[in-house]
Amino acid sequence: MAISSPPIDQVGALPAQDGWLAITHQFCRRRPLGAIGAAVIVVMFVVAVAAPLIAPYDPVVNDFGGMLAAPSRAHWLGTDAFGRDVLSRLIFGSRTALLVGFGSSVLGATLGAVLGVASAYFGGRVDLYLQRLMDIFLSFPLIILALALVAILGNSIPNLIVAIMIPMVPRAALVIRASALAIREMPYVDAARAAGFRHGRIILRHMLPNVMAPYLIMLTAFLGQAVLLESSLSFLGLGVQEPMAAWGLMLRGAAVEFAETAPWMAVFPGLAISLSVFAFNLFGDSLRDALDPRLRTQ
Amino acid sequence: MTKYLVKRFLLMLPTLLGVALVTFVLIRVIPGDVVELRYSGDRGAVSQDLLDKERARIGLDKPMWQQFATWLWGVVRLDFGTSMWTGAPIWEEIKLRFALSLQVAIMATIVAVILAIPLGVLAALKQDTWVDYSVRIFSIAGLAMPSFWLGIVLILLMLVVFKWLPPMVYTPFWVSPWQNLAQLIWPALAVGYRYSAVATRMTRSAMLEVLREDYIRTARAKGLMQKLILSRHALKNAMLPVMTVVAIEFAFLIGGLVVTEQVFNLNGIGLLFVQAVAHRDYTLLQALVMLVAGLFIVVNFLMDAAYAWIDPRIRYR
Amino acid sequence: MRRRPVLALLTLLLALAIVGVVPVVAQDKPRSGGELIFVVPSEPPSYDAHQEETFGLIHPTAPHYNTLLRVDPNDRTGTKPVGDLAESWTISKDALTYTFKIRKGVKFHDGSEMTSKDIKASYDKILKPPPGVKSLRKEAYEAIASIDAPDPTTFVVKLKYPESSMLLNLASPWNWIYKADLLAKDPHYYETHIMGTGPFKFVEHVKGSHWVGKKNPDYWDKGKPYLDGYRAIFISNSAAQVAAIRGERAMIQFRSFSPPERDQLVQALGNKITVQESPWDCLNFVSMHHEKKPFDDKRVRRALSLALDRYEGSKALSKITLVKDVGGIQVPGTPFATPPAELEKLAGYGRDIAKNRAEAKRLLKEAGVPDGFAFTFKNRGIPHPYEPLGIWLIDQWRQIGLNVKQEFIEASAYHPMLKRGDFEVAMDFQCGFIVEPDLDLPRFLSTSDANYGRHKDKALDDMMHQQGRATDPEQRKKILRQFEKRLLDEEAHVIYTLQWHRIVPHLAKVHGWTITPSHYLNNQLDTVWLSE
Repeated sequence: MAISSPPIDQVGALPAQDGWLAITHQFCRRRPLGAIGAAVIVVMFVVAVAAPLIAPYDPVVNDFGGMLAAPSRAHWLGTDAFGRDVLSRLIFGSRTALLVGFGSSVLGATLGAVLGVASAYFGGRVDLYLQRLMDIFLSFPLIILALALVAILGNSIPNLIVAIMIPMVPRAALVIRASALAIREMPYVDAARAAGFRHGRIILRHMLPNVMAPYLIMLTAFLGQAVLLESSLSFLGLGVQEPMAAWGLMLRGAAVEFAETAPWMAVFPGLAISLSVFAFNLFGDSLRDALDPRLRTQ
Repeated sequence: MTKYLVKRFLLMLPTLLGVALVTFVLIRVIPGDVVELRYSGDRGAVSQDLLDKERARIGLDKPMWQQFATWLWGVVRLDFGTSMWTGAPIWEEIKLRFALSLQVAIMATIVAVILAIPLGVLAALKQDTWVDYSVRIFSIAGLAMPSFWLGIVLILLMLVVFKWLPPMVYTPFWVSPWQNLAQLIWPALAVGYRYSAVATRMTRSAMLEVLREDYIRTARAKGLMQKLILSRHALKNAMLPVMTVVAIEFAFLIGGLVVTEQVFNLNGIGLLFVQAVAHRDYTLLQALVMLVAGLFIVVNFLMDAAYAWIDPRIRYR
Repeated sequence: MRRRPVLALLTLLLALAIVGVVPVVAQDKPRSGGELIFVVPSEPPSYDAHQEETFGLIHPTAPHYNTLLRVDPNDRTGTKPVGDLAESWTISKDALTYTFKIRKGVKFHDGSEMTSKDIKASYDKILKPPPGVKSLRKEAYEAIASIDAPDPTTFVVKLKYPESSMLLNLASPWNWIYKADLLAKDPHYYETHIMGTGPFKFVEHVKGSHWVGKKNPDYWDKGKPYLDGYRAIFISNSAAQVAAIRGERAMIQFRSFSPPERDQLVQALGNKITVQESPWDCLNFVSMHHEKKPFDDKRVRRALSLALDRYEGSKALSKITLVKDVGGIQVPGTPFATPPAELEKLAGYGRDIAKNRAEAKRLLKEAGVPDGFAFTFKNRGIPHPYEPLGIWLIDQWRQIGLNVKQEFIEASAYHPMLKRGDFEVAMDFQCGFIVEPDLDLPRFLSTSDANYGRHKDKALDDMMHQQGRATDPEQRKKILRQFEKRLLDEEAHVIYTLQWHRIVPHLAKVHGWTITPSHYLNNQLDTVWLSE
């Protein structure tokens, strides 16, 4: 899946520092969809952090006496094939989703941004080689690259984060580069160079603030993708492993086989994944609208 | 124009070469090899001597650079070798699966375009109204649901509610169009819906951008009906970025449908990929990657050409 | 005089009762006609059974061939050798010479006659493969000194030493009989071509899609096969396989379905479905690396086995995955299996789990393993039954104070990992194609390549050799009991978990197929018929 965006070489800088509260208020009022998305994300965070406190049961302990139990007062979302509480596993699963999701998207977007800016700023040979390198990695479908990387690295969580992050770097680099190029061409950059400012300073003070917007947009776009990719990999058996709790993992094997007799095993993790990816996308979408001056309402 | 095209064409080659090299190295880094896998299945031990002889027969004992050179030389002559797992020529392994994946990709793209363009235009026209919101929610929902979940639910629904199952075996379109479509329409819908999300977003933003152009404002001021404006001015100019997105997504559909193919039991390229990785079938994997990457690169090139033709400024960058 | 009819009636009733209790294979007379459609989860890499070991080859291709001997397709234990191409045989008094009388009038699918020459050529290929050709089962025939075809209907096998399992060994489903002339021209011929004497002729194989065979009208077993043909469809996704049978597009899958899949089919199709179940000649056991501490201490190994509540596990796990019976070194119900009452005497097989676990904790303490000791358990990344068994094992070990982390290794990388010895505790498996100690147990020899735990136990090796040479079955049983006790109890070299369980639900209109403990057996399809 490619990340696409309008040619954002003319994206403006972030809105002037108006006070965070005011900005948030404005955002909620003007873009209710995005606000809802953001709210869901915040809830997810809280749940993930407070997991040991909120979860009613230990997510790994087997209880063969109560296996495949329907939702009841004791188990709000039922139990799975090993008698483990679905709700608790869902709660702890949010940790995995956020850890892998945020880890890989932040790393991927950041690394991509660095490469994109470097490529745009230094131009010439550097640009040519970096571009070719990015093109090469872009040609692999996302899941194939992740598959291969997991096969090489193994499927512990840090390795999973790396495997999911790597396909994202070239996509971010491409978009950020386009943005940075526009800045690079501006006269004041050349003036700064002429005045003797060092590379680092120019990049930090002039280019970076201007690529913040596309960077944030890429980041939120990646979040949803990362969560989906992690669940796909877990579903294929290449992601997080038992008995850890992870949403994609919960959808594997027994959940499918018992889909008719014990549907709660498959329905709730599927909902959790959909909801979180939905929220990430809503928020990202609205963020893009907010930051792109050409899309502002008249 | 030609100079630009030639330049872009020449740039394709190092990319392709790079892809070949990266694939070659990447898959050989994965632990385990095809010989090991084939002969230590359920029962365990096979003599080391037998394994070594097999490796020599397939050519795995030669140094890496030599293997690469031999393979590359074959590729140049369009000979992709034989599968390390079955011994059959690569094209024979791929052709049926490629036909299927290609058809699903085409059908999914059609579905995506049919959904995306009207919805995107609608959302742009009615920006920030509830119409806009519902369109966005609808399209993002397609993006958010895991494809395997959707597939499982769909098949279950068909079985339980309609008591009907799509055909299990692939029949090419010219053999029996009904059987063919009956099998492939479902994944095409599921995948098409998913990909329409990106295209809808693209159409919407491109449309918005164009609607702000001066000449559109002028046309409105002159009192032309909105419909006319849309169909002749706005839409034409908005189409370019949308086309790009659709084309690139299409290229990815050929190899990227791994999970969907599993769920709908489609014998396509995605499934072949997974099997090839599981079998460590280097020759097949390399051929598949070259196919998918090659497709992507070629589509990119065609898009570049289209852009350059439409917007002459690009040629001089 | 009046008693006779009553006696006759009683006898008749008794006979009917017996017949009724035995799983009925064919209630009516077999009906000819129809095409059997079945699903196969994986595809054959090549067509030569001498060089492959996947069921993906056996299921679609075995119907094209015959073997010298085969396992009786109507016997549920899968342990009785009967003749296929061999009409009858005699064994010399010293058990060193086996003389087979070969059927006359058997034709290959191209019309040429099959003689003992072809049998000899095929076995030559298995025992002494030409350069460039592999034979995977060469080592199983170590005992054979020579093979001969003195005349077209006689085939003689001479052994170096007596081997009680030789007949079953020769009944291997992999030893397809090929045509001598074709092998002489090109020893690789059978890797990509089909030419056999079997009940079905080859029609087509579309890669990734299906395999078609049609009835051999000149088959030597007159009246058979009953089917007009068969079609094997390759479907790798198990949910799709279930859907296919549920939608009645396919009739059977010859490997196995999981318990919830069976329940789904039974619920959906009611009496249109027949379910056949059997213990499987496959078992997962835990291998511990004998050269790594603390697993070099047999007290630790015993503790790990004592911690497992096998009986509760059997009850619960048999609902969700492919395991059921608590077994020892041979499949329960087969001639050499230990009766359950005897089995309970082994460590970890007792019924008092509280006592066992207390003992386990005591042993760990004695061996100096602290409470909360952590180690990594490596498992193969396969859904059934590896993953559920892994989850179960970890939870059981948790209850004796061990903190075990599970690491899944992708199926493809698993064997290299085991061979390298890159593990402390790992899941291993023991799968055979015929239930026979000589075929199931050689991996536990100190010298075996498959002895990944690297245990060295001369007593065990000696017992293994002894049972192989023992010609008296009772004597053999005794030695095998001792072997089992030493392997699982005294030294606890490995930890047997639960016996795999094979579940084959199929459409009720399929008759004539009897389940056995091996999914490699009974696939020639000559006895199968459809009732509608």
